[in-house]
Amino acid sequence: MDHNTIALLMFSTMLLMMITGQRVFGAIGFVAVVAALTLWGPGGSDMGISAVFKLMKWTPLLTLPMFVFMGYVMSESRLAEDLYKMFHVWFGPLPGGLAVGTILLMVMISVMNGLSVAGMAIGATIALPELMRRGYDKLMISGVIQAGSSLGILIPPSVVLVLFSLIARRPVSNLWLAGVFPGLLMATLFVAYIIIRTMMNPALAPAMPAEERATITLRQKLALLRAGLLPVFIFVAMMVPFLKAGPA
Amino acid sequence: MPRWSIAYVRLVEALCRRIGRFAMYLLFVMMAIMLWSSFTKIGRFPAIWTLEMAQFTLVAYYLLGAPWTLQMDTNVRMDLLYARYSPKGQAIWDIFTVFALMFYIGVMLYGAIDSTVYSFTHDERNPTAWRPVLWPLKLIISFSFLLMLLQSIALLIRDVATIRGQRI
Repeated sequence: MDHNTIALLMFSTMLLMMITGQRVFGAIGFVAVVAALTLWGPGGSDMGISAVFKLMKWTPLLTLPMFVFMGYVMSESRLAEDLYKMFHVWFGPLPGGLAVGTILLMVMISVMNGLSVAGMAIGATIALPELMRRGYDKLMISGVIQAGSSLGILIPPSVVLVLFSLIARRPVSNLWLAGVFPGLLMATLFVAYIIIRTMMNPALAPAMPAEERATITLRQKLALLRAGLLPVFIFVAMMVPFLKAGPA
Repeated sequence: MPRWSIAYVRLVEALCRRIGRFAMYLLFVMMAIMLWSSFTKIGRFPAIWTLEMAQFTLVAYYLLGAPWTLQMDTNVRMDLLYARYSPKGQAIWDIFTVFALMFYIGVMLYGAIDSTVYSFTHDERNPTAWRPVLWPLKLIISFSFLLMLLQSIALLIRDVATIRGQRI
């Protein structure tokens, strides 16, 4: 068979198998195994197991379970809830303030964790119910949470940049530093978008009512700022060894 | 459902769950190995066994957890159409496509056993400074593929029960 025909056949079969809703690894693996057996003959049965060993020797894979574990620790420790309360109190009076606070919360979470999924999970469980309760536009808040969670892989530490650095053989520290500015720029643009959009149409994101604002004292406000210290500490503890070591 | 099939599902699922929960804790073993690796590197007596041992633990962690993942149905599915069906409709689709999954796992199991036997009889070692024997790791891989195959048969029995409107 012509190699183009093989590629087309394998790709279309894979898509067809995935549409049926079977587990993705099963669908892809089935196509791969059938193609290996029919095209290579009996020797194809060992191709799968040699792929397992090829993957084992790919060291970046070791970092993945650690980052996932870290995300779990953060969501179970309710660290994000304290942070969210802080942003809520400080940005509440602004129109669309809670949405801005959500973006900043995502920045803080990205500073501690390198996966986008963690930010998405925290945003959906903590920020979403609160935003809905306050009558924010549903289309806007789902956009806010999704856009905000995409910062996770840009702002250091980032898993994707670790994987990239090992493929491209570039130092991780440089790549991580290179992610800081674009990440913060993106966050600023998101915030600017939210503010401009709510200025044009205040019904999308009502501000915190004045009577609720009056109940919060300055002392409480300052006490809540403490929640922001821990992420900064984690960030420094993770980044300093990298930067001191120089190009690793 | 026949009584033997219910007993089979119970037995296999209990086994996979226990092994999966054990594999969960291998994460801490991996962390300990890598921490030790860092210590030895700071102390200028770098250990030669840590990277490979961490990789072996990683393979065991992923693969021994896989049967439990199958059981909990937490694998990624492309549920563009699948999510719109009723539980019964999903079971009908799965009854057909689970055979593709079984075939894949079966071929992987065949390859794994083949490779294990080769490692055992030829005393195959990893081509590195540490030179560990490979058959214990390959035995773990074969065992987890066997468990995945058993678990996918249990999935099929569960789907048949769903279509008949029974619960296991």
